[in-house]
Amino acid sequence: MTAKGITPETVPALAEFLLSMADDEFVIGFSDSEWTGIAPILEEDVAMSSIAQDELGHARALYELLADLLADGRDADALAYDREPDAYRHARLLEHGRGDWATTMARRFLYDTADAARLASIGEGWPPLADLVAKIRREERYHLMHVTAWANRLAAAGGEARSRFVSALEALAVDAPSVISAPEGEAELVAAGILSRPMADAATEWRQEVVRILGPLDISLTLDADPAPRDIGRVPSADFQWLWGEFTSVRRSEVGATW
Amino acid sequence: MTDPVALDPVLSPQDRSARPWNDDLDHDERFALFEAHVLAGGKIEPNDWMPDEYRTAVLRFVEMHANSELMGVLPEREWIMRAPTLKRKLALTAKVQDEVGHAQLLYRVAEDLGKSREAMYDDLLAGKTKFHNVFHYPTRTWADIGIIAWLVDAAAIVAQQALRDSSYGPYARTMQKICWEESVHIMHGRDVVVTMMTGTDSQRAMVQEALDRWWGPLMQMHGPRSDRAKDRDLHWRIKAKTSEELRQEFLTIYVPRLLELGLVIPDPALAFDDEAGEWRYTDPDWAELRTVVTNHGPMSEERLEFRRVNRAATTWVREAILAEKRAVA
Amino acid sequence: MTDGGDRMVDEGDPNTGRAGALDEGAAAEVTTAAATLEPYEVFRQEKDGDPMRHGGNVMAPDPELALHYAREMFSRRGESVRLWVVRRADIGVLEDLDLLQPPLDRSFKKPGGYVMRDKLAAARERAGTSKPGARAASHDRTGRRGTDGSDTHASGDTPGEDPLV
Repeated sequence: MTAKGITPETVPALAEFLLSMADDEFVIGFSDSEWTGIAPILEEDVAMSSIAQDELGHARALYELLADLLADGRDADALAYDREPDAYRHARLLEHGRGDWATTMARRFLYDTADAARLASIGEGWPPLADLVAKIRREERYHLMHVTAWANRLAAAGGEARSRFVSALEALAVDAPSVISAPEGEAELVAAGILSRPMADAATEWRQEVVRILGPLDISLTLDADPAPRDIGRVPSADFQWLWGEFTSVRRSEVGATW
Repeated sequence: MTDPVALDPVLSPQDRSARPWNDDLDHDERFALFEAHVLAGGKIEPNDWMPDEYRTAVLRFVEMHANSELMGVLPEREWIMRAPTLKRKLALTAKVQDEVGHAQLLYRVAEDLGKSREAMYDDLLAGKTKFHNVFHYPTRTWADIGIIAWLVDAAAIVAQQALRDSSYGPYARTMQKICWEESVHIMHGRDVVVTMMTGTDSQRAMVQEALDRWWGPLMQMHGPRSDRAKDRDLHWRIKAKTSEELRQEFLTIYVPRLLELGLVIPDPALAFDDEAGEWRYTDPDWAELRTVVTNHGPMSEERLEFRRVNRAATTWVREAILAEKRAVA
Repeated sequence: MTDGGDRMVDEGDPNTGRAGALDEGAAAEVTTAAATLEPYEVFRQEKDGDPMRHGGNVMAPDPELALHYAREMFSRRGESVRLWVVRRADIGVLEDLDLLQPPLDRSFKKPGGYVMRDKLAAARERAGTSKPGARAASHDRTGRRGTDGSDTHASGDTPGEDPLV
């Protein structure tokens, strides 16, 4: 399917953007699903698992959209699984492993807030994406509610809980803006109305939202004003290499098989 | 038709409070009235008076069930990471999530009988209480995931369906919800197996090899034949069927479904005896079962240790969010 | 009327059931040692227009997370359109049958207390009339026509008997 209303020049930029969003959702969903069965409270285990499944569901929908756009014979699974580690386009924030509960919550907080600003920047330029994003944003509301509930509690608890959470936020703050970095070909995407605004504007909104939530908790973070664009061809972290090894292991054991 | 998702229908006061044995009578009279009610098919609710024997029996039964759901998460968990397609990844995560949910439901039932969740975790991790044999074994390949989701869950659901009419109300209702959710797991498991059996030669071989390893534990899962007359759990209607009845039911449904895929069941003696009207099979290794459920199985200690370590590592989280609640009335 | 959150037990009223084997010592242990996660009861609505129905309960450290966990346990498959989540300790329980089912006659408050079949038969005979046909409009509270005017809310009434005919 050729994307109706999308000029051929815009396709590479759109594909790259979709891939980075899909990879973000895929990697964080995969990573957070590691908590299934071992979260601190049984009920929280179920909640965390739902959130991880939502992210994977979003990834799946985005990969499917990308598969339609590229129409090169690859399906969503091929796009998700059949690449070398350095061909993944997820944000640097997600190169970090899930760590302990504080790290997971800190990473989720930074990711969900940045992702919300990113999703709010999707315009009507390509209806299939706009429609999907409308649904994703509705599901993401719960993620924001949940991670904010945890941020409030960890910060207010003081002591070890607060210090773990704050340390994790500070450590991840360096890479957090990578989620909302300007994609390659941003100008084309804005011109085509696929993005309703440049990512720099979204990043400003994101930083304000972080201050709005963390300020009352007496936490201030330095979030880089000029996030670097996603490093294409960067050497993947050890954490991600391990994750990649795990999630591709069965598939690589019998290439081309149906599972 | 009972809403499969409802757990506790709102019972009228007559159902809950007007129990003849809830009045102040002497113990023997209460016991007799209680027993008559149960044997006539009546239900027991958390606020009812119960003889110690009944309360202890239900608690032990439910606690082992809850423990099994909690430990049962671990064999499959590691394969969530390795699921080879997005759909399988989502399905397996959802399945394991359900097992956690079942643990939650069952620990809740046990908690309302008077034992705290923390005390139950303590006993499980100290090896004082048990969990089902099948969760003490390793999962070696993706085929194991299909076999477990299909056959272990099937064997479990055969038992759980028989528990839907348990005399203890909260447990019976929880079983109805659990059975409804488990049916999806079995479909997922069977789909994984059937997909591989229509795949490459090495996929088919992987499935057969997994079945070869899991058949023994599956046959042991429902337990040795017991004497119906001596089984107190049957007497109190906590459960309704004997181990052997459950095993026979499992074989009747699932042997044909395995054979139709071209799989070989690794028991040459397995055959249906038309005259006797039951399955004949090589006697399961009951010594193995005893060894395994007393936490000497291949993965018992490793999994319990994993849980201990994980519990310790997350203690700070529980303490943090419960800190304000420490003041007790 | 709770014993610390895990059970709804009426300590004062000898008429209601009291679980005998759970002694005070055990109850206190549950309350203090568990660092209180508390039970929250969850009521759910299956679809628009349905009544709220008890679905079960979750353990949570506070009301906000209780809502999240209720959503997980009772609607992660989209099986509910509304949830009410209430701390079990906040639920008032009335199980006293003296109050709910008082023993003396109250049939004057229920349709079953107004059986007129014989009297009506006598009146018709005296007037030389016959019983009106089934299509005669009756102010049937249930809104149904015909002879089955049984009030589904009254217990003890003879099923199928229309008290107004």
